[in-house]
Amino acid sequence: MSSGIFAALIRDTGGSVRSDGPDVDSDAAGDEASDAEPRVRTDGGTVVDGAGERSGSADAEPSLRSRFRRSRFLESIPFWGPPGVLVLFFVYGAIGWNFVISLTGWEGLGSPDYSSLSTEMYTQLLADSSFHAAFQNTLVLLFAFTVLSLVVGLLLAILVDQKIRLENTFRTIYLLPMSLSFVVTAIFWSWMYNPSNGLINELLRAIGLDALTQAWLSDPQFKLAAIIFALMWQFSGYCMVVYLAGLRAIPESQYEAARIDGASTTRLYWRVIIPQLRASTMSAAVVLVVFALKAFDFLFVLFGVNPGQSADILSVMMYRVAFDRVQWAYGSAVAMVLFAMALGVIGPYLYLQYRRGEL
Amino acid sequence: MSHDSRSDDDDRLTRRHYVAGAGTLATVGIAGCSDSGGDGSDGSDGSDGSDGSDGSDGSDGSDGSDGSDGGDSASELEIIHWWTAGGEQDAYQALLDGFREEHPDVEITDNPAPGGAGSAIDTVVQNRVIDGNPPSTFQIWPGQALTPYTDEGLLEDIGDSVWDEEMRGAYLDGVIDLAQPAGDLVAVPINIHRLNNLFFNVSVLDDADVDATDIDDPQGLLGVLETLDAETDVTPLVHQTQSPWSSLQLWESIFIGQQGVDDYQTVIGGDVSSLEDEVRSALDLLASYLEYIPEDAGSISWDQGNDQLIEGNAAFLHQGDWAAGQYSSADGFEFGSDWDMVPFPGTTGVYQSVIDSFVFPTNNPSPEATEQFLNYAGSVDAQERFNPIKGSIPPRTDVPMDEFGDFLSRQFEDFQNSNTQPPAIAHGTAVAPAIQSALEETFANFNENRDVDAAYQGIVDAF
Repeated sequence: MSSGIFAALIRDTGGSVRSDGPDVDSDAAGDEASDAEPRVRTDGGTVVDGAGERSGSADAEPSLRSRFRRSRFLESIPFWGPPGVLVLFFVYGAIGWNFVISLTGWEGLGSPDYSSLSTEMYTQLLADSSFHAAFQNTLVLLFAFTVLSLVVGLLLAILVDQKIRLENTFRTIYLLPMSLSFVVTAIFWSWMYNPSNGLINELLRAIGLDALTQAWLSDPQFKLAAIIFALMWQFSGYCMVVYLAGLRAIPESQYEAARIDGASTTRLYWRVIIPQLRASTMSAAVVLVVFALKAFDFLFVLFGVNPGQSADILSVMMYRVAFDRVQWAYGSAVAMVLFAMALGVIGPYLYLQYRRGEL
Repeated sequence: MSHDSRSDDDDRLTRRHYVAGAGTLATVGIAGCSDSGGDGSDGSDGSDGSDGSDGSDGSDGSDGSDGSDGGDSASELEIIHWWTAGGEQDAYQALLDGFREEHPDVEITDNPAPGGAGSAIDTVVQNRVIDGNPPSTFQIWPGQALTPYTDEGLLEDIGDSVWDEEMRGAYLDGVIDLAQPAGDLVAVPINIHRLNNLFFNVSVLDDADVDATDIDDPQGLLGVLETLDAETDVTPLVHQTQSPWSSLQLWESIFIGQQGVDDYQTVIGGDVSSLEDEVRSALDLLASYLEYIPEDAGSISWDQGNDQLIEGNAAFLHQGDWAAGQYSSADGFEFGSDWDMVPFPGTTGVYQSVIDSFVFPTNNPSPEATEQFLNYAGSVDAQERFNPIKGSIPPRTDVPMDEFGDFLSRQFEDFQNSNTQPPAIAHGTAVAPAIQSALEETFANFNENRDVDAAYQGIVDAF
């Protein structure tokens, strides 16, 4: 980890020295991505390579340049060091400890026995049908919720971006659900979904679609879909704001150029505008995925610790196993799976950002 | 800028070294703090740890003297409980008032962990017990729910200090057994709810020409539900499937009603497979019952369903007798004329018990006050104050019933005449928490798919 920070610091230095030149750096984020990419990569590449060499042969060839850089690194330690140590201890240390606990057989209210470590909990997980269900649901939730929220958010952003009247009001209305806690929205949606007097079914009945009314939250066919829809309602406003910022960063001239070339509105967005929203999509998607993994509150308020197999997700299972059954080791194993999933999403994102020189 | 910084490098370096030194000192300082904190909680005195984790304790100056002076700490009693809803809260306050009258010198720190039926309290108490920082006492179901604590010796044996001869004589044997799951008496039961009740709306049944006392067994109840469904507009059976415990406890009552208490004891003893047909038959019947529950059972809580019964839109409710509290607070809904209750068909003579108790955790921050409180909780005075408001009967058989009203007096009579008081799975007394949770998961799935095979397998796997 420290070598990563080191490399980043060095690169920062390079960037600031270079920043007297044309302001390519600041635009690289959203705009002209394909153009800026190779330049940034080259810059980052050489410096990182230099860092790698130096760490190997710093003592052998103490050139003035490397010594200067090195001292800059040392000097910066007091600034990132203490927080780094704290994060290392309280975040990564806790994750590591959790992993060790998952290797023990800790159950009940005694102390864990660290003397015999095994991966038994993980083999147990693989054979556990409720883990299979929870894992599958988590993946479905993750994917469907993220994609739907992004699509809805993008559509909303494009609509709000049409220089409409009351734009700020609409923006606020769409963003408002995001500011509510899961507890509020869960109770709110449980009323909405009530099969006998909930708004959803009442609406369906009012427009003569009685056949479509469902017991949304008790029918296993619709349970997860109903949850995903409710979460999407809450978070598509956030996507809208992110996309709106992305859209505003695209110069007017590109719209005009596309118009002059005779592009239709669909074509304009599909070929010119949306491809430039990659950075917005990435950052919104990462936030959404993390929220999907943490959708615990929503389910816990709706169903308690037992949502039933059709809506069980890993975070609820983790809580159930650990605190309801006092099987700490097994709960830790579920937590590690959850952690690996989060890392599986964020890791590639960070790497990509790093490669693109945006980190 | 970068050129400047290079030219006066020397000058800056020294300043930066100061900063570096300060940073290092800060780091060492933090490490030092966390070290000393660790020492504190490692020590045998649990009260040190409470300073860190519990803000209310930390603000109290008396904590400092805890370690040296046991008598001083005895004046502060921390109670964790989940009685935060209307009637429960009042009952608990009445209990505290009675205790304060007897022991005015004890200061009570009320620490509620709200959440129905202890869903949150486990997390709070378990974490504190593992950290070696238990409260003075906490509310818990007796019986198997105590086993995680007794397995690790985390509850003090109060067989001598609290359970004197007089108190032992006043409790029924079945209840005393639940207070000693591992041999030692570790808990003081304070109230008993009956679980195997079938409440009904009198006028709804009259209109449908149904007599609840005529229903002999669980199968017979199904016939009545079918009749109600065919001939009236009311919901035959109020039920909730949002969380699984209601279905689990209904299955328990069906099983006892069909097979009797001996087979039930066999099942909770873990031998499910020898009774495969019996277990399956109860599941089948439960699945049939679930055809007659409200359409919105998955979106409501049990008390929202109970409102339907009060309003005359529903006929029956299977629930613990805490449901009766809702009837007495409803206007113009009187026991006998508007609502009534029979034991669940086939379970007459059975008083399936849901009990709350208080315990004496080891490492206790206030041993003296805890003992005083537990002694009080086991007294006639405490149970006479607490139970009428809570809507439960006292576990002591010598409590005067003047204050309890007609319904509870009848329940108390049933209790004293009951042949057996089996524990309840859904309310912790019958099986260990891990088994209970696995069974709840099974019934959550059963609520969804009503798959008898899967549920049977789930029950077998749970034990």
